[in-house]
Amino acid sequence: MIYLDNFRSTMVAPEVWEAMRTAAIDRYAVPAAFTQCGTGAAELIERAQNRLAAAIGASQNEVVFTGSATEAINIALLGSTRAQAIDKPEIVTSEIEYPATLAVYKALEKEGYTAHYIKVDGEGRYDVDQLSSVLNEHTAMVSLMGVNHMIGTIEPLAKAGNIIAEASKHIGRKIPYHVDFASALQTQRLDVDEVKADLVSFSSNKIHGPKGVGALYVRKGTRIHPITFGSESYSPLVPGTPNTMGIAGFDKAIELLYATFDKDVERMRSLINRLAAGIRERIPHILLNGPEGAERAASHLCYSFLFIEGEAIMMFLDMDEIVVDTGSACAAATLKPNYILIAIGRNHEQAHGSIRFTLSRYSIEADVDATLAKLVPIVERLRAQSTIRPPAQ
Amino acid sequence: MAIKYTAKVIEHFKSPHNIGVIENADACATEGSPACGDEITVYLKIDKATDRIEDVKFQSYGCASNIATGSIITDLAKGKTIDDAEAITWKQAADELGGLPPVKMHCSVLAVDGLRSAIRKYKKEVKGIDYDSTLDVKTVTEELKHVLWPPVGVDIITLKMVKYIGIDQGAVRVEVSIGSDDKFLDPTIDEIVEHVSKIRGVKSVNVENV
Repeated sequence: MIYLDNFRSTMVAPEVWEAMRTAAIDRYAVPAAFTQCGTGAAELIERAQNRLAAAIGASQNEVVFTGSATEAINIALLGSTRAQAIDKPEIVTSEIEYPATLAVYKALEKEGYTAHYIKVDGEGRYDVDQLSSVLNEHTAMVSLMGVNHMIGTIEPLAKAGNIIAEASKHIGRKIPYHVDFASALQTQRLDVDEVKADLVSFSSNKIHGPKGVGALYVRKGTRIHPITFGSESYSPLVPGTPNTMGIAGFDKAIELLYATFDKDVERMRSLINRLAAGIRERIPHILLNGPEGAERAASHLCYSFLFIEGEAIMMFLDMDEIVVDTGSACAAATLKPNYILIAIGRNHEQAHGSIRFTLSRYSIEADVDATLAKLVPIVERLRAQSTIRPPAQ
Repeated sequence: MAIKYTAKVIEHFKSPHNIGVIENADACATEGSPACGDEITVYLKIDKATDRIEDVKFQSYGCASNIATGSIITDLAKGKTIDDAEAITWKQAADELGGLPPVKMHCSVLAVDGLRSAIRKYKKEVKGIDYDSTLDVKTVTEELKHVLWPPVGVDIITLKMVKYIGIDQGAVRVEVSIGSDDKFLDPTIDEIVEHVSKIRGVKSVNVENV
């Protein structure tokens, strides 16, 4: 199988699986004080906290592990807004965020919050001027993502962080800034001070860690309330027995990620460039979704193939054991075209023909070449069958 | 539950029967639209003495199930008289494919609509039988039986989701009852507009969720 859907989820690395197995067998006790097995489990979690904290310029006690990035996003957004008492509270995000963020914002709107959804340009970059204009004394939260999962755009997080810091100074209160880094972790380095983030969400399964684990960075001093309640022995924000096996896996995944980070990013970029060049040379009537070159995540490519529909392309590739994703309405559980493609100005027809290819550090040149070799005749064939014709024909 | 295509759907998608164009077709009709989703064009060659469908072909701008339903519907129609072919239902087409996921049932409706439109065009142009009836509540109701509720793949009339149909000098008002947060609300409204707009005499379609 050639798996080019790594922005959805990744394979668990063999070393990660081994670390999880060891944790399951040797570190199954609940983290606790004094006893050998209890402290052993506690140390496992501390080591993982330290590793992620070191990678993002934070300290150990600013990192908690969650059940997923979705849970981290929920804790960050609900916990932080509920910890503030603001008259007529307003919350800010963009129109192209991950569904988890948008779902929490919709829930907060029902609770009486006024939400602002920042527009993006044709390549998916936030309109930072609009961000600047909506911040005021009522703002209770800003949440933005590091890399857009559908179109690969690397977002101006630090620029937004400066704007938020400036506005915070102006109103005399810190406006909490949450960054969703789930799709960015694979290819982007993060320094929480440089970005001026107060809260950052992470996902394990996007970087060859297991599913069922995420993490949340909470800057020291950030006001936040728990959103679920139970035993607080591990963390008041994430009560209950921690998933030591999953955390051990996430820890190993982070270790592996940074062990060869620059080399992997460079290699994925060159593979993506090879795939993009092949598509451009061999398939006419295409549209690149998202920016080109360095402004796009190194492992990400998304093209719309005009006059045909993406689910059919995806299914043909699937029969050849090549896994991709599409923003077509036909493949969506809602029968709606992908909202991010619509937000960058694609019409329904252009969104229907979109295919997303996302690599991992395990992707090789042969994967890209085999994908191209299959993709070209699939597109030609579906175009020959289609009711819509290129204008020239 | 995992949403999967049957082996038969995959087979027809992979190697669709009757794909292509009939030059000098006796009738041809396109249903759906690229802006709303899928589109299908059906071409017919008809033996005028016997009214039998000698050849039928289709083209599809659509997903795997759109292509598969186009393939099966043309298989079913080939060799039949136009009256028999016109009587083929979307349920029949879906059954022939071993079933479709409820969310994809509308593809079968589209394929059947394409075939029926082509047959009716032939009947109108060649045999002088005019199918276009006057714009009234009954016609609109009939048309709305072609709009399926995606979670179950059953039409919105049978499901009693249509609460009111009003017509005033070509302006059609349809009131439906769908949860305001329902993820299928927008695509269903789009489909109602698409279907009702096809009826002769319709000047505007207004769908209200009540």
